[in-house]
Amino acid sequence: MIKDLKRVRNIGISAHIDSGKTTLTERILFYTDRIHKINEVRGKDGAGAVMDSMELEKERGITIASAATHCEWDNHGVNIIDTPGHVDFTVEVERSLRVLDGAVLILCSVSGVQSQSITVDQQMKRYEVPCIAFVNKCDRSGANPAKVAQQLKDKLGHNSVMMQLPIGLEDKHEGIVDLITMKAYYFEGDNGEKMVEAEIPADMLEDAEMAREEMLDEVSLFSEELTDALLEEGEITPELIKTAVRTGTIARQMTPVFMGSAYKNKAVQPLLNAVVDFLPSPLDINNEAIDLDKDEETVVLESDFDKPTVALAFKLEDGQYGQLTYIRVYQGCINKGDTLINSRDGKKVKAGRLIRMHSNQMEDVDSIPAGHIGAMFGIDCASGDTFVSPQVNYSMIAMNVMEPVISLSIVPKDNKSQINMSKALNRFTKEDPTFKTYVDHETGDTIIQGMGELHLEVYVERMKREYKAEVETGQPRVAYRETITKKAPFNYTHKKQTGGSGQFGRVMGFMEPTEEEFEFVNKVTGGRIPTQYIPACEKGFQASMEKGPSLEFPVTGIKITLEDGAFHAVDSSEMAFQAAARGGFLEAYTKAKPVIMEPIMKVVIETPNEFQGACMGLINQRRGIIQGSQEEGVMSVIESEVPLSEMFGFSTVLRSGTQGKAQFTMEFTSYKQVPQSVAEEIAKKKAEEKAAKNK
Amino acid sequence: MLKKDLILRSPAEKAIGMENITDGQFGAVVSRAGVGKTSFLVQIAMTQLLSDEKILHISLSDSMEKINVRYDEAYASLVDSIGYVDPQKADSLWESIKTNKVGISYTETTFDVEKIRDYLKSFKDADLSLPSILVIDGLDFDIDQSAILEDLKQINKEFGIFVWLSMQSHREEPLSADGFPVQLENHESLIDKAIFLAPVENKIEAIVLKDGDHTDVKFLLDPATMMPVA
Repeated sequence: MIKDLKRVRNIGISAHIDSGKTTLTERILFYTDRIHKINEVRGKDGAGAVMDSMELEKERGITIASAATHCEWDNHGVNIIDTPGHVDFTVEVERSLRVLDGAVLILCSVSGVQSQSITVDQQMKRYEVPCIAFVNKCDRSGANPAKVAQQLKDKLGHNSVMMQLPIGLEDKHEGIVDLITMKAYYFEGDNGEKMVEAEIPADMLEDAEMAREEMLDEVSLFSEELTDALLEEGEITPELIKTAVRTGTIARQMTPVFMGSAYKNKAVQPLLNAVVDFLPSPLDINNEAIDLDKDEETVVLESDFDKPTVALAFKLEDGQYGQLTYIRVYQGCINKGDTLINSRDGKKVKAGRLIRMHSNQMEDVDSIPAGHIGAMFGIDCASGDTFVSPQVNYSMIAMNVMEPVISLSIVPKDNKSQINMSKALNRFTKEDPTFKTYVDHETGDTIIQGMGELHLEVYVERMKREYKAEVETGQPRVAYRETITKKAPFNYTHKKQTGGSGQFGRVMGFMEPTEEEFEFVNKVTGGRIPTQYIPACEKGFQASMEKGPSLEFPVTGIKITLEDGAFHAVDSSEMAFQAAARGGFLEAYTKAKPVIMEPIMKVVIETPNEFQGACMGLINQRRGIIQGSQEEGVMSVIESEVPLSEMFGFSTVLRSGTQGKAQFTMEFTSYKQVPQSVAEEIAKKKAEEKAAKNK
Repeated sequence: MLKKDLILRSPAEKAIGMENITDGQFGAVVSRAGVGKTSFLVQIAMTQLLSDEKILHISLSDSMEKINVRYDEAYASLVDSIGYVDPQKADSLWESIKTNKVGISYTETTFDVEKIRDYLKSFKDADLSLPSILVIDGLDFDIDQSAILEDLKQINKEFGIFVWLSMQSHREEPLSADGFPVQLENHESLIDKAIFLAPVENKIEAIVLKDGDHTDVKFLLDPATMMPVA
């Protein structure tokens, strides 16, 4: 392991699906001498790319899970996290971004900034990840890196600065002009491994000089020395420019733009130089944790190997030898044999075998010091857990995790599948916090919940492939919720006198809508309800929210104000007040005009222009609201919000309506009230289901 | 109540009257570049949103985001012109009506009336209420646009949608005998209503060039907000 952290880079590669990030990663690994054969993503030779380690990914040509890999370039250690590109797996992207210091944002030189790039970019902003951009696929017909750089400005608000110019585009793409060194670079050899420096072609010289001037104008903002050199017409060394670009990039004030074609082996090496030159080392980044012993006070972690260890588990994988836990060490050092504490549950674990991953190949190491990414074997934990030395009790700040919006019942086909299914579910829920599972007590079915149809589909497939668990799936169900729309009072007395000690409790107050999930305010004075029974009242109200009284969806957004009540010296008990609260809840709930809420998804369709009208029509037919549409070259982007319940099977409909040429992404935005007519239908369906159950 | 108050403040209401905005087939807002055609068109469309109608705004120059920003700003200007309005109330009204607006951004070369027809058809197919007006901003009237206007006339007939257009005039061009800019004069027979915007000192004057009884109505607008000034 490289001890000088200035020479370490932890980077991610983020992009829209099919922008070529797996190919790029593959090329990077090739040029860094870790692998000697380049496989195509879709596996012409059946081998598949190295980073896509799961069968399913190989088949679909997309990257589902992030794999960490290590390589070395120009005396620097580079850890690469390959992040998933599909929006249904954004939790994985977010988890990866959490452990990165910098990222390469790949954009397609033809399609430019696509909807997913926007999502990924927002996530990068949230975690303040500095990035450089790589405009890939310059060999494709319609390639236009300058347009993409402009889109980075217009659509994502980046201060994008072109650091290179392409030498030829589309099938004439040969190499690049580096605007710092003002040299042309060509890539020769079977795999473009030979980088040949040459003079800038005469017909490009003028453009290159203009582009360099523009670049220097932007970059000089980050270096007084460079500004002075420019004003005084002094010597402008490459080092001077590089330092300024590095400062601007790390401060997220500028995004240097590089270009090439990973598939055609063009200009990957200059990108690697840029990773080393411009992306931050662990020392450039401020990482924080919370101190659980000091009222969750924020503590700044230092990349000091001698301080107590703090590490974050960001990905789990089932390997041949048990659970493989990917970790990023933020402070201290994990040595083989160290005792660590999982700060989530306080359990002690012993760091046994430590490894550094090169996708599916492992390399044993003796320690993983601060600033590095590695993996531990044989440790039972969940994704997102923090491991610390026994002398501290820190936790890395909780990650932003959304509640699932869709559920599906799954039934194993046989006994063996039943056992394997349990194993698979256990693993998946640990890996992915947005994937949940429970057993429906009424039907006995196992229910899986997630963030979208595809999200669940992928897990069902993984169950089959990786765990040999054959399951039958039911119809996907939307996670409806209920809430109230107006204030309503309650005045309920729970009284039972059936021999023995009786039960008595009275609650008075009101419920009203709130933005919070649940609020409880106690305004009882004068001991009308003794203090020891107040928590029981709260519990009673809260318990009532698990299921609405008639439609039985979870209830949210209710504030209960308890104003008054009564008790009996002998017959009152916690149980009696809980029952009174449940009664009070029921009494007020129906008067408070309850409504059903449904998850609304942000749906973005990208379609060839000729199908724009048709696609907008598809949204209209699905109770969708179109927010707008924009033409970009030959493609149109349509942004809309559509209820999740209307989106089932949408991919098939979209495919058949656009000759398979359109694609869409979908992510949860908010819960909104269901229109009356739809609410009636839901109520009817629910009643039928109930009747069927009671038969 | 707030909706009504806001409509009463609208420069569109002042120029041609609320009931009159969708009466006919074509309307045009004419001015030189940069005077405020788009802002005025947005205020016209805003009266419809405030009447719980849908609108379709097509721009050949603004991006989708820009269109949305223009509407946000136009609404804010209307609200500010009232004086004090409960911000929560104003926000919630905007949240509820802005979803009735669809902005589509085309380029001059990809704009095609057929695409609009396809889209409007889908409203009928899904049994949804149709937009009351269609705003088309950025068509170049220095060239003959009769063919597009004829197509739009069919849209008007088929779906009952009033079409509001922007027309850019030029400083050096002389006006016609009726006092119309040449771009309007060339298509005059099709246009039912026309409003001309002209900078006057540090204000903008709105003049109704054509609209039955409202013809020759004149008033001044604040160039920053495009709201009528007292």
